Amino acid sequence: MLLAYKLSYASERVTATAIEANEFPQLAQEMQVWAVPRIVVDGEPRCAGSAAGQAGGARLKAWDGAVPEPEFLRRVLAT
Amino acid sequence: MALLRAEEETKGREWFAELEHPVELLVAIGPEETPLAGAGDVDFGAEMVRVCEGLAELGDRVTCRVEDEPDGFPRFPAVSIRPDGRDAGVRYDGLPWGYELGSLVGAIVEAGRAESSLRPDSLATLAELDRNLALDVFVTPT
Repeated sequence: MLLAYKLSYASERVTATAIEANEFPQLAQEMQVWAVPRIVVDGEPRCAGSAAGQAGGARLKAWDGAVPEPEFLRRVLAT
Repeated sequence: MALLRAEEETKGREWFAELEHPVELLVAIGPEETPLAGAGDVDFGAEMVRVCEGLAELGDRVTCRVEDEPDGFPRFPAVSIRPDGRDAGVRYDGLPWGYELGSLVGAIVEAGRAESSLRPDSLATLAELDRNLALDVFVTPT
């Protein structure tokens, strides 16, 4: 979560929201939240899974799990 | 129940004492969704106010303000973490329970820094970003 926050503070073009999935179950269902943390970019829950993120060239819109800063940024910018 | 254990409170005070910018916690309360079963009879809005006011007590540079259904908040309760009172696009929707309280504390610490704690190469890459991005991170209390 903190990485997303850091990106937002560092860039006016980025917003970052943590969403407590149990309190907002309808939205969590729409965003296909089965595991946490789940990162969704621009409200598009497509192309989930870390394998897709490692495929290179895949237009990743969401993934599950924490990743190191360089990989997080790569995935965010690959959307 | 205390918000933090004694050692956590001490650490929080140390971190918040080093803030270089004031940080405002704008707490938004309003109509709440029905949470998943097991949440009990928790008053999420009241608890959010208690959490944020408790954090604000740990440092002179952290303040807490509560508003009823302010603009720009689609879900309640929520808190916007604002460096110098400015909306930087950082929010926590829902109650930051347990381990997630650390995310809120981390956001306050980052908001209060004069310089980002991101890696220099990350900042260079971010500076070239030519479109807006909205990151939603779904979490659960642990």
